[in-house]
Amino acid sequence: MIDLRDADINFKWEIIKQEGGEGLLKCFGCSDCAASCPVRYLDERYNPRKIIRLTLLGLKKEVLSSPFLWLCAHCHACTERCPQGIKVAEVINAIKNYAVKQGYCPEGLKVQLNLLNNAGRLYELEDFDLKKRQRMGLPEINKKIPDVSKIISSSKIMERIQK
Amino acid sequence: MKRYALFLGCTVPVRAQHYELATRNVAKILGIEFVDLKDGSCCGFPVKALDTETSLMLAARNVGLASKLGLDIVTLCNSCTAMLSDAQHKLKDNEFHRKFSELGFSYPVEIKVRHLVRVLYEDIGIEKLKGMIKKPLKNLRILAHYGCHYLRPSYLHAFDDVENPHTLDELVGITGVMVINYSEKKLCCGGSVLGIDEELAIKMANQKLSVAKTHNTDAIISICPFCTVMYEDNQRKVEMKFNTSYNIPVLYYPQLLGLGLGLSPDECGLKFNRIKVDNILSKL
Repeated sequence: MIDLRDADINFKWEIIKQEGGEGLLKCFGCSDCAASCPVRYLDERYNPRKIIRLTLLGLKKEVLSSPFLWLCAHCHACTERCPQGIKVAEVINAIKNYAVKQGYCPEGLKVQLNLLNNAGRLYELEDFDLKKRQRMGLPEINKKIPDVSKIISSSKIMERIQK
Repeated sequence: MKRYALFLGCTVPVRAQHYELATRNVAKILGIEFVDLKDGSCCGFPVKALDTETSLMLAARNVGLASKLGLDIVTLCNSCTAMLSDAQHKLKDNEFHRKFSELGFSYPVEIKVRHLVRVLYEDIGIEKLKGMIKKPLKNLRILAHYGCHYLRPSYLHAFDDVENPHTLDELVGITGVMVINYSEKKLCCGGSVLGIDEELAIKMANQKLSVAKTHNTDAIISICPFCTVMYEDNQRKVEMKFNTSYNIPVLYYPQLLGLGLGLSPDECGLKFNRIKVDNILSKL
């Protein structure tokens, strides 16, 4: 049962300020996104329309603390079908970005960020890989890409996820 | 000779070298020259859920590397394609471009970002490729898997038909195989949720594998290393979870095209496929 006394009317305004969150207010709740969603088809815990509706109602804690927010595969099936032209997957992603700023972040994503910060790619090229590439006649590529940690540190995202 | 900057991303140079090998060998036959981006990093997609602007900046840096060479980018991974395309558009935003320049990066000339398969379709063309097939691959039933970010979101790619795609089916068809016509082309492999909820990802992968089995598929064709992680590397896990048996090989498109162009199985990197392809080779 939804209790609107807990609602935060500013929540939706916060989301539309996030990169990709712009289209949120155009939603009229038709549910084409949920009907097109391959994740929703297999697992009813995830429902893009419900997440958007709760966001518009201002149920901030319920949306941000929900583990189901992170089940979006970002496949954009919803975006292609939305009659209002909302980039639905981008809106869901904007809510994820905001959740991270509020201290909610799945461990798996932190691990990926640390891997990138360390080597610049998700899989570091070990000596074994470099030798295999050489044996196969594939060209050399650089093992570490320091520019990546430069970008990550300028974004202050590391500090954000350690909160 | 057509020249492009080849963007490898994270997975291809470490986990899918056979895809890279087949791509390079096919390119030689087709008169495509690749200039390597030795400093190419991750495309940025893995951090998009954390912070979109950071992911776009990582992508934009890679786009800048190719722009400095004055070359269009060819990608091998669907998500890299979408991420770099997004950054290529984002570089037109003044505020973003200012931050990009402040970090010491530059984007001197406008370039395009396209997946290898799209480049084959648009720059080489079906008719020309068809004429180059030396050894039609008869007797094989092949199911083409598009993956999500090869076509979606359409506001970035503006290519093919997102609801009923056909470009990969056409490219598979010219090799002489029988292309399976099926209605679940758009299904997502589940790769993006593997790190969040493995059970859900496995269920998603199972959907297409079970469709492939129903159609007596000899091999699934993939054009994305993450889709292959789901359908090939995780196929045993899917079989265990659903108590079934698939044993369906997953080939990258250049591996199939390479065979048709007369390359040997070794030149197509087929000995590195995790699900053995002997059944396919014996049918040829």
